[in-house]
Amino acid sequence: MNRMARETVSPRPRPASRAGLIGTPFEARLRALSTAEDWMDWAGCLSPRALGAVETEYFAIRNQSTLFDVSPMRKYRVTGPDAARVMDRLVTRDVSRLAPGRVAYVLWCDEDGMVIDDGTLFRLGADDFRLCCQERQLAWLNDIAWGFDATIADETDDVAALALQGPTSHAVLEAAGLGLPALRPFGMAEPEPGLTVSRTGFTGDLGYELWVRPEGALALWDRLWAAGVDLGLRAIGYAAVDIARIEAGFIAAGAEFQPIHRALRPSRGRTPFELGLGHLVDLAKPHFNGRRALVRHAKDGPRRSLVMLDIEGTKPAAGAMIYRRGRHEVGHATSAVWAPTAKRNIAFAEIEARAALSAGLRAEIYTLKEGRWERTMTRATVTDRGVFRPPRARATPPGRF
Amino acid sequence: MAFDSARNLSAVVIGAGLNGLTAAATLAGRGARVTVVEKGEGPGGLMTGAGTGELGQFVWNLHPDALSEFGVSPADLGLGPALPTVALSPDGRHVVIEGGAARFADGAAHPDAAAYRALRWRVARFAAVLAPLVRMAPPRLGVGLMNRAGLPELLGLARLGLDIRRLARDDRREFLRVILSNAADLVLDAMPDGPLAASLAFDAVLGSRTGPRAPGTVLTLIYRHLQGGERYRPEGGMAVLAGRLARAAEARGAAIRYGAEAAGLVVEGDRVRGLRLASGEVIGAGLVLSSLGALPTLRLAGATHFDAEACRRIRQVRAEGTAGRLDLCLSAMPRLEGLPATLHRARLLLAPSVAALEAAFDPVKYGAVPGAPAAEILIEPEGAGARLSAIVQHLPRAPDGGWTTEAREGVIGSVVAALAVHAPGLPDLVREARLTTPAEIEAATGAPGGHWHHAEFAADQLLTLRPVNGMARYATGLPGLWLCGAAAHPGGDVTGLPGRNAALAALGAGVRA
Repeated sequence: MNRMARETVSPRPRPASRAGLIGTPFEARLRALSTAEDWMDWAGCLSPRALGAVETEYFAIRNQSTLFDVSPMRKYRVTGPDAARVMDRLVTRDVSRLAPGRVAYVLWCDEDGMVIDDGTLFRLGADDFRLCCQERQLAWLNDIAWGFDATIADETDDVAALALQGPTSHAVLEAAGLGLPALRPFGMAEPEPGLTVSRTGFTGDLGYELWVRPEGALALWDRLWAAGVDLGLRAIGYAAVDIARIEAGFIAAGAEFQPIHRALRPSRGRTPFELGLGHLVDLAKPHFNGRRALVRHAKDGPRRSLVMLDIEGTKPAAGAMIYRRGRHEVGHATSAVWAPTAKRNIAFAEIEARAALSAGLRAEIYTLKEGRWERTMTRATVTDRGVFRPPRARATPPGRF
Repeated sequence: MAFDSARNLSAVVIGAGLNGLTAAATLAGRGARVTVVEKGEGPGGLMTGAGTGELGQFVWNLHPDALSEFGVSPADLGLGPALPTVALSPDGRHVVIEGGAARFADGAAHPDAAAYRALRWRVARFAAVLAPLVRMAPPRLGVGLMNRAGLPELLGLARLGLDIRRLARDDRREFLRVILSNAADLVLDAMPDGPLAASLAFDAVLGSRTGPRAPGTVLTLIYRHLQGGERYRPEGGMAVLAGRLARAAEARGAAIRYGAEAAGLVVEGDRVRGLRLASGEVIGAGLVLSSLGALPTLRLAGATHFDAEACRRIRQVRAEGTAGRLDLCLSAMPRLEGLPATLHRARLLLAPSVAALEAAFDPVKYGAVPGAPAAEILIEPEGAGARLSAIVQHLPRAPDGGWTTEAREGVIGSVVAALAVHAPGLPDLVREARLTTPAEIEAATGAPGGHWHHAEFAADQLLTLRPVNGMARYATGLPGLWLCGAAAHPGGDVTGLPGRNAALAALGAGVRA
């Protein structure tokens, strides 16, 4: 499965060398733990694709608990009297319904209603927000905030972040003296001064994200590491997270959609509706960026649809062309994986909107078998997104497992 | 469109300048209930400094389509015959340009008269290609051209294509060669440098923050000559003209309120419902047409109603006025040597050469006051004495050290000294001198940066890009709010077309809605 995981899930640029990549505050621990020496470039930071075997790391997410360094995420702090208005102007959801101490998954669009990026929005206070995302957004946030009384600060380098994910993750927190039994999904708390814990993540399982000043990063790591000894805690790289997120039905920028500010071809932009995230668009709230275009898109209907496909067999369908009635090409798979826990062969695929409703889809899968390519046309069925979403992920208080 | 198709529409027009009044007349003439709100005490906008006196001095390019919306003729407005232009020459052999022909003031033939006539003719032919484009919203490019709604746009584009094709092959090649090049090269290819050449270069840069060597100034020159390029001096001055236009708009049914400052929009459900005045009063209206610049309109409405991209584009509109006005109160009509008395009231150009014009622009780039500014001058008798007004073409908006008394006197002194070469008695006649800087023009009229055209007249801010990409068809994005001022297509000068075109666009959308 290692080869599968490395080569069949969504493509990520592999750096020619590690030269020039910036270490995160956790670099020392990551280097010490790395046996695979499989690194990648994440927003200019040195980030592990895998520290050991991807299978072990993936199953640790689903059966134990894992630490993944998410410090390279871009983090922006928005404060000031108009901060809430600015965030409402930015994102498609209604920020007025986001209470302080809560987190929301949000999208934001350009004037044509095309998705710029997605991320998590933390409401730290009435006039205090933190936005976490993949793409650099400082210039865009400043454009959005022009004319409003709000301050935007890039605090990417001021906040180190760890994702602690897996069924025993709360047990690890408890063992570290940081137990938060009452914390609900998308909630956040400050168990100790200078440490914020949110019940969020990218794996679809029980999990937390921990936010700390870089000076406290290694101490936090060591504390969790010691607490996790008997709970199967393992440090992991992105490859395992990528499998988990496809299984959980979470989209990734650059794979399921092309952030419009990076796309050279304007036609590559996608609306939230086309990504299947229309429920995150509140057209009833006052004007926000792209609203008028989104009203039109909502009326006209999507051009293409991002769907989850259940693909017959076990051959991973990465990059597969999707056909309707065997002949008409209707789209392609954007990320695909054999979902080890759900035990299903799944793929995110972007297909023509009409085709999403039709039966009789086929995925054209090419497999290299000892020097020879084999082509198979395999039946594909549109299925619900998120083939693995266990109830334990949402249980409050979380179980001990 | 039926004449009274807009009977149930109510509209507010912000600003009683030419474009605001034209928009109001256009709307009212079609049955809409129109209120014009004007912050100043009188009509006229940049023509009159919002009713405080006079800022502009000539009418040119006033479009018959705009006039017909007022239901008046040029004679009703007291426009009279076109003014001759006198390009003053340092050697005393002034050049008179009248009816497209050039001669010396003493009646002798000008050696470049034939070349000048040919160039004017060429510019006029090129202007004819662009002429249909100014009478309508600029064509929508890209999406939607091939459907039914896009048909008028497609026809408009086709017409431009046809008009270009109708040019003779050599003309066509020449049109495409020069359209984005600079006026200095165009003019100096045709004739040697001197006052006559400078007169055309002057037209190309009037009111703009450019010198004649700036790329794209050929396009602005051609634009300026859409209506033949002649100047008219309204009888009684610009204030009288503004008053006549205001009365004509009122006769069409528009109500004009002076001293009424727009303070904000009333927006409900992403649609304009009215205008709030500084007094707190709200005027309910489904349409608000703003003849303010793009940025003041954005600020009035609030950035919250616009997408960030639109705000960014509007913020980046170049509008830095570099033309000021000089008023001299004279104890008697000055005598200009080498110029018959009949030509003393002509449009006088103080721009001895294209090179001098470029040199006068150069210091402005560095925040310095030019030592020998170029100017367009008008001298008229007033009471027992006379009044001399000059549009000084190139002044820095904010000179290093600010507009001190010394800096002002420097400008006044250099214009008077340059004129004194031709009118030796002039300095002794000056009783009072007043310089109105671009910043003061902005304060008086609200024109962004004190710019005469609300947005620099340049190839990247014309046609589908005026004032910004995405707003060239007068709609701002916020339903019910329209741009109808000089910043909108076709923009600038005294055409009245932005107001008329915007009103028609707003009516078209309103009637469909």
